[in-house]
Amino acid sequence: MMRRVLLLALIALLAPLPTGFAQTDDTVAMGEQLEARVFEISRKLRCPTCVSESVADSNAGISIEMRNEIQAQLQAGASEAEILAFFQDRYGDWILLEPPRRGIHLVVWWLPGIALAAGVIGLTTLMVRWTRNAQQATHEAQADDADLARVRAALQGDSETSS
Amino acid sequence: MMDVGLGPLGNAALYLALAFSVWGIVAGAIGAIRRDARLLTSARLAGVATFLAMTASIAIMEIALLTDDFSVSYVASTSRAGNPLWVKMVTLWAALEGSLLLWGWLLSGYWALLSIVAPNSPLRAWALTTMAVVQTFFVLVPAVIAPPFEVISPAPLDGPGPNPLLQNHWMMAVHPFLMYLGFVGLTVPFAFAMSALLSGRPGSEWMLQTRRWTLIGWGFLTAAIITGGWWSYEVLGWGGYWAWDPVENVSFLPWLTATAFLHSVQVQERRHMLKGWNLLLIILTFSLTLLGTFLTRSGVVSSVHAFGDGPVGPAFLTFFLIVMAGSFGLVAWRWDGIRDRADLDHPVSREGSFLAGNVIFLAIAFAILLGTLFPLIVEAFTGDKVTVGAPFFDQATLPLWMGVLLLMGIGPLLPWRRANTQTLRGNLAWMTGAGVIAAAVAYAFGLRGIYPILTVGLSGWNLASLTLLLLGAVVPRMRVGTRSVVQVLTGYAFENRRRFGSMIVHFGVVVMALGIMASSAYRIDEQVRIEVGDTMPFQDLTFTVQDTFMETTEYRVGAGAVVDVHRDGSLLTTLRPKINTFFGQSMNVPTPDVLYLPLYDVYLNIAAGVTPDSEFVVLRVVRSPLVAWVWIAGFIMAFGTAFALIPSRRGVRGTQRAPKGSSVA
Amino acid sequence: MTRVLVVLAITASLGGLFLWGLLRGSPDREVESARLNRQVISFDLPLYPRFQGTFGPTLNLATELNDKPVIVNFWATWCGPCYDEAPHLQAAWQRYQDDVLIIGVQTQDRGKRVEGEAFLDRFGITFPNVIDDDSRVSIDYGLFGVPETFFVRRDGTLLYKHTGPITLDKLEEKIAELTAS
Repeated sequence: MMRRVLLLALIALLAPLPTGFAQTDDTVAMGEQLEARVFEISRKLRCPTCVSESVADSNAGISIEMRNEIQAQLQAGASEAEILAFFQDRYGDWILLEPPRRGIHLVVWWLPGIALAAGVIGLTTLMVRWTRNAQQATHEAQADDADLARVRAALQGDSETSS
Repeated sequence: MMDVGLGPLGNAALYLALAFSVWGIVAGAIGAIRRDARLLTSARLAGVATFLAMTASIAIMEIALLTDDFSVSYVASTSRAGNPLWVKMVTLWAALEGSLLLWGWLLSGYWALLSIVAPNSPLRAWALTTMAVVQTFFVLVPAVIAPPFEVISPAPLDGPGPNPLLQNHWMMAVHPFLMYLGFVGLTVPFAFAMSALLSGRPGSEWMLQTRRWTLIGWGFLTAAIITGGWWSYEVLGWGGYWAWDPVENVSFLPWLTATAFLHSVQVQERRHMLKGWNLLLIILTFSLTLLGTFLTRSGVVSSVHAFGDGPVGPAFLTFFLIVMAGSFGLVAWRWDGIRDRADLDHPVSREGSFLAGNVIFLAIAFAILLGTLFPLIVEAFTGDKVTVGAPFFDQATLPLWMGVLLLMGIGPLLPWRRANTQTLRGNLAWMTGAGVIAAAVAYAFGLRGIYPILTVGLSGWNLASLTLLLLGAVVPRMRVGTRSVVQVLTGYAFENRRRFGSMIVHFGVVVMALGIMASSAYRIDEQVRIEVGDTMPFQDLTFTVQDTFMETTEYRVGAGAVVDVHRDGSLLTTLRPKINTFFGQSMNVPTPDVLYLPLYDVYLNIAAGVTPDSEFVVLRVVRSPLVAWVWIAGFIMAFGTAFALIPSRRGVRGTQRAPKGSSVA
Repeated sequence: MTRVLVVLAITASLGGLFLWGLLRGSPDREVESARLNRQVISFDLPLYPRFQGTFGPTLNLATELNDKPVIVNFWATWCGPCYDEAPHLQAAWQRYQDDVLIIGVQTQDRGKRVEGEAFLDRFGITFPNVIDDDSRVSIDYGLFGVPETFFVRRDGTLLYKHTGPITLDKLEEKIAELTAS
């Protein structure tokens, strides 16, 4: 029941804003550079009312408001880190699409690298072993050659004695 | 006859299919153990019979959809009488129950086909039995777990229609179909791999017999992922095509492992090593298709496409765990018979590069799987809610993708066993030269940042590699004959379909890499407000909002804006982005309009509601360079795969005809 | 045999994780507030005219906290569950207005003044309601949706956040905690 109710609320939120779009006047006047920065930063934030969409990608009312907030803070001279910290302070780590590099989040950052390293080391070890296998095989083949030479020598000796 | 409703009829067909597929298991297993030819024939017939019964159930569902029989539960919950014909037809796979029914049907088609065409080898019996086991699950789902044929009494007069996001674009008619064809296609090599283990013949036979099936499955999966991205681009309204959403991620995982498999089976084919590795890879691929379905159909991870709870999630989880334990357990149990004494002449060889590529593909798959599951893992252990989104996946996989591009250039040029140092040096010099020149040109054109420049450089490197490959094939042939270049080239292409097909696919990958790089790194987003009648400049274009409009069809209302796009004073096109509202659905669906150009797309989406008397419109404008090439690349890759699959006149080279011992390069 | 056991162990741990996920239900909802037991961010928002007689043109959270603990309830006119919980909030207000101040914040609902008035009329709401027209305050409170209800102690720290429609029982339980602290 609860879930359904929330879902309804969610759908209503996802619905585009009706009218009254006061902020966008400024948006038009805003420099392209600033706009690009706003989208760049908002791409790292999760839209709180959507399901796995970034603030940049969503057109929900709250996302538009968050983009306005980012714009205002950029204009006030805030850095990206400060802006992200601002939202994280209010929403928690959940809001960050890029997990922060600390605490338990380090696992997700380090494990793929560790797995790759393990794969590379594993493959190298195997390759060394397999190359040795191949060399052994040629070695055995060479022994066969030696055998053959001995046979040939024996045969020659035979022919010499016979002639 | 007429008083039997379509619901019970459909259920009857499903129960029949269930009985046949269970018989397929019983007869197949007993027949395989006792080597009873009659039972084995019976098991093969069971495959065909299951397919017929499943076909009947699909036909009944389609009839119910097309005749608006709302006494059938699936029709009542997902169809709508006023919808156009094509929407009604594809409504079959617009929701959970129907799409699983479709999956079961496609699987039964492959099983039946396999029953008929699979060569009579010792592997066939257990392979068909494995197909029967998988089939039984996929009949059990629509028959019992998520039944689409429930009878609703009294029948409602109309239904809500399918999810508006799905009926809003024709691409949705294609994407799920391709996806299931891909998943099902990869079930065939899995079944043969299981048979190899069960019958104690873990050699190369299973793999050689299913090589084409693997390629078919891979090709469909590739096409499915790309059409999925295209659908997302055209429908979701944010101007992108890949959001690293869990649903996308889990469809990508089996593709990655299947791609690794496609390459490593060639090593086994030529060099008779990696038997165990290939078995593990195909089992992993199949398990990942089940895992993906479980994750996205259970609401365990959050996703745009979550389907909420229901018994389907637990059912897929159970089957996934059974498959995991059973198949990996079987490999573990038989490992001593599987492991081979591999030998490698030199790491710098075709097989060496394929193995390195395998490591990279699996590392990518691991990073994506970890990122997708990480919120779940963290919540389970600490209770914290965290998010892992696009920035993580980009950063974690981009370096690895560069590795893929690097190896893709070298691998095909290296001979099996050992590279000739001098030839290799010459080739590398050309490729490096091309790469450096490409990167320098990119820099001169204003590209900055390590990944964009690397991507362009590696594209040059790959194009040089492909040219060298072609020259290496064509030049010697030119010397010996008097044929023209075109004749020699087509002759070579058709005589070496697999090799030439792979070159086409690799070319497609290069095109795609460029498209993805440009459209993600150089995309421009803006939100603009334009008064009706006004003109607004945007980059080198101008937008003029001519009018707003409201259009009503018998199944939806669309409200949007008419926007003229000018460049250098001349009209390029008129775009009509709108927001659709489907009758019977509460959700509004943005319907962007896109101007496809070779160099960049102009993507317009309505960002705030419009009415016919609106004085202004708020538009989301996205300009993505080269994004159209992502779709073109998809076509190239699909074409290359198809080209490799066409049987050549001389029969498929070196497959059935060379069972063992032939390692001629 | 060891290998088989390893496979089974991996399968079992994956199974355990996913089973836990299934039992937990769907994710993302009811995320704990990041400001639990920390200071909430004060606001100063315009009141609906009917409350201006008592509180003046705007209402300042920090000032009100000097008197009593505060319950901040976020709502919107398009939000179905908000209609369900409004009578419960009004009932709690009638019973406990001496111990606690309830503030309604209409948010993510730009310009819907007439509809907002109708909402207040419909439930005969007498606790002060303010308007967060640009949704700024909903960002400060880390709102995931509406309705959400925040229980703020007198010292300005957050005792509890409730996601979704709240009931009188829950309100009474948390009001008791608020007044005890």
